[in-house]
Amino acid sequence: MKKILAIIFKDTLVRFTSPIEWVFFLVLPIIFTVVIGASSGPSGDDRVNMIVVDQANNSLSETLITSLESSSSIKIEIREIEDANSALEQKKISSVLIIPENFNQQSLVSQNAELELQQLPNNTEALIAQQAVQAVLSRVSSVVDIANGSVARAESLPGFKFESEAALQVFFDSSLEKAQTLLADSPNRIIEEKGKTKDSVEFDPRSNASAGQLITWVFIPLIGLSGSFAYERQKGTLRRLLTTPTSKGLFLTGTIIGQVMTAIVQMLLLVLFGIFVMKLNWAQAPMALAVMLISSALAAAALGTMVGTFVKTESQANGLSIMIGMVMALMGGCWYPLELFPQTVQQIVKVLPTTWAMQGLLDIVLRGQGLTSILPEAGVLLGFTLIFMIIGIVRFKYE
Amino acid sequence: MSAILEVHNLAKSYGNFDAVKGISFEIHEGEIFSLLGPNGAGKTTTISMLSTLYTPTSGEATICGYSITNDTMAVKKCIGVVPQDLALYEDLSARENLSFWGQMYGLSGKSLKIRIDEVLEQIGLLDKAKLKVKTYSGGMKRRVNIGVGLLHQPRLLFMDEPTVGIDPQSRRAILDSVKDLNKNGMTVLYTTHYMEEAEELSNRVGIIDHGDLIAIGSQEELTKSVGETDTLILHVGEETNPETLAEEVRKIKGVLKAEVTDHQVSIITPTAEELLAQVVTHANNLGIKIKSIDIREPNLEAVFLNLTGRALRD
Repeated sequence: MKKILAIIFKDTLVRFTSPIEWVFFLVLPIIFTVVIGASSGPSGDDRVNMIVVDQANNSLSETLITSLESSSSIKIEIREIEDANSALEQKKISSVLIIPENFNQQSLVSQNAELELQQLPNNTEALIAQQAVQAVLSRVSSVVDIANGSVARAESLPGFKFESEAALQVFFDSSLEKAQTLLADSPNRIIEEKGKTKDSVEFDPRSNASAGQLITWVFIPLIGLSGSFAYERQKGTLRRLLTTPTSKGLFLTGTIIGQVMTAIVQMLLLVLFGIFVMKLNWAQAPMALAVMLISSALAAAALGTMVGTFVKTESQANGLSIMIGMVMALMGGCWYPLELFPQTVQQIVKVLPTTWAMQGLLDIVLRGQGLTSILPEAGVLLGFTLIFMIIGIVRFKYE
Repeated sequence: MSAILEVHNLAKSYGNFDAVKGISFEIHEGEIFSLLGPNGAGKTTTISMLSTLYTPTSGEATICGYSITNDTMAVKKCIGVVPQDLALYEDLSARENLSFWGQMYGLSGKSLKIRIDEVLEQIGLLDKAKLKVKTYSGGMKRRVNIGVGLLHQPRLLFMDEPTVGIDPQSRRAILDSVKDLNKNGMTVLYTTHYMEEAEELSNRVGIIDHGDLIAIGSQEELTKSVGETDTLILHVGEETNPETLAEEVRKIKGVLKAEVTDHQVSIITPTAEELLAQVVTHANNLGIKIKSIDIREPNLEAVFLNLTGRALRD
């Protein structure tokens, strides 16, 4: 036991002798967790900005502006013409809508109303703004048509005549407002209904990022265990160790246990970050979490032991472990939800331990499940451990 | 003196290649025994079998009374090994290295700490013990490499070419430390391809070549085996072909052997001084420029040359 502890202590000293190791151990995993969690989640306001210059300042232009404000594609800002031109010239904005002075009911009826939309050339945002303006204009035209229809209907009533132009305008404005209200309250054409099945859990990108980055940044160094074995072989320290009263089995046990323990500490730190900083649901099933962390670490360490038998040098091992780790993490759903992958790929990636590790951890942090639910995933991971470890030990090269 | 190491017909083969061909010898408690031979002669393979790293193809050896094939753990406790390569963790300090290796030899606690300080004192690195090994000079690293092998005070120390690739000053320090260890009662098996080291250190020498132990005995016994011969060494210019000179010299009466190594002709003869004039005349006739001439009394180099027909550097 003392020798195993000595091997673990030595490996830890060798690994953390360089401060840069802490960057890979803790700093980068946390940064990636936060960045990916934030970037793949729902963002704030992603509407396209547009400046509106209101030179008409009448009820119709107000109606148009109100409709533009309620658009889901554009976000408007009212400015003076000079400011608008300056912003467009400096490319701070992609489009400017100018509502001219003659934009009123009459010009609309006589189809002389012209809105001016200034845009940056070859700009996607400007195109989005143009389409949004056209859609809003179409709605406003409908409202105006309804109001005009009301005015015409009133004038057609026998014996009725507006006392003045002002009275007609008041009636028109009132009709316009009512038409707007009625159209706004029109019944929905799309019915949204929350599912009630097992898959009804709402996706939380932060939970996905926390679990995914935890696996990514722990699997890579554990697969890098192959580099540790290659280093010992290359430096001749393994050969020397075997001339001491220390068996091969004890060396392997000490090295693997040491790496697994370091990985578990790393995972616990990332879990604590998830709990206390990201307010994630990691702590809801501690026993399930412990089983998943240990089985994941064992599977990765066993994979590292197996990979170590296929490489000759430490640099080969490092390159290979990073490549294998990144591909496995990506394909296992650690960077993007597995549901985004085609159905066939979702089936194929079940041969990867990362897929099972990811699903088990998501069961805990995202789906709020307990020990019973993660047992299948943990079982598969322990199966991977057994297969990789047997191949690794049988093929292990001491020189 | 009792034998601490007994080797009987020890052999190691890799497919059709016989790295060690059934060698037998013994080492007595308290002596320094050198295995002298060129690179690839089988020295490291022999040490690897004796330190239980390789299983012999055939034959047997006992160390401290334990079989190297059946009692490996007991053998490992009895021996210390200083490998040819620097088998150290260069990112750790000398003290951390010694602490780790000491624990691998079964030391712990206070006894480990005491031994680490003693070894650091012995190898002259007590004041630099906290520095990382990678900051040390080549000679200092060699000393730590030796120190690791001494931690558990083994009865028999294997040193596999410990002076390869280091400066003369560090080499001197290592040779002196081997003698000191031996004075304190440690038995040493020392492998080298430097004749001078074997001559300086050894009580007895085994000459190994192509996996065969071709001679064994004290330096005196071995040199006697080549008779009262001297070695006349001619260093010739690089632009000339020394082989033509060797061919001519072989025809001279009294020349037992004449061999070429690099730009050097080694002539074994009982009458070196008398032949000198004739040899120089032949060289002049052949247009070969002689840069320098050495006349050496019988030594291990001559023994090796006599036994194999080749110089040790071949």
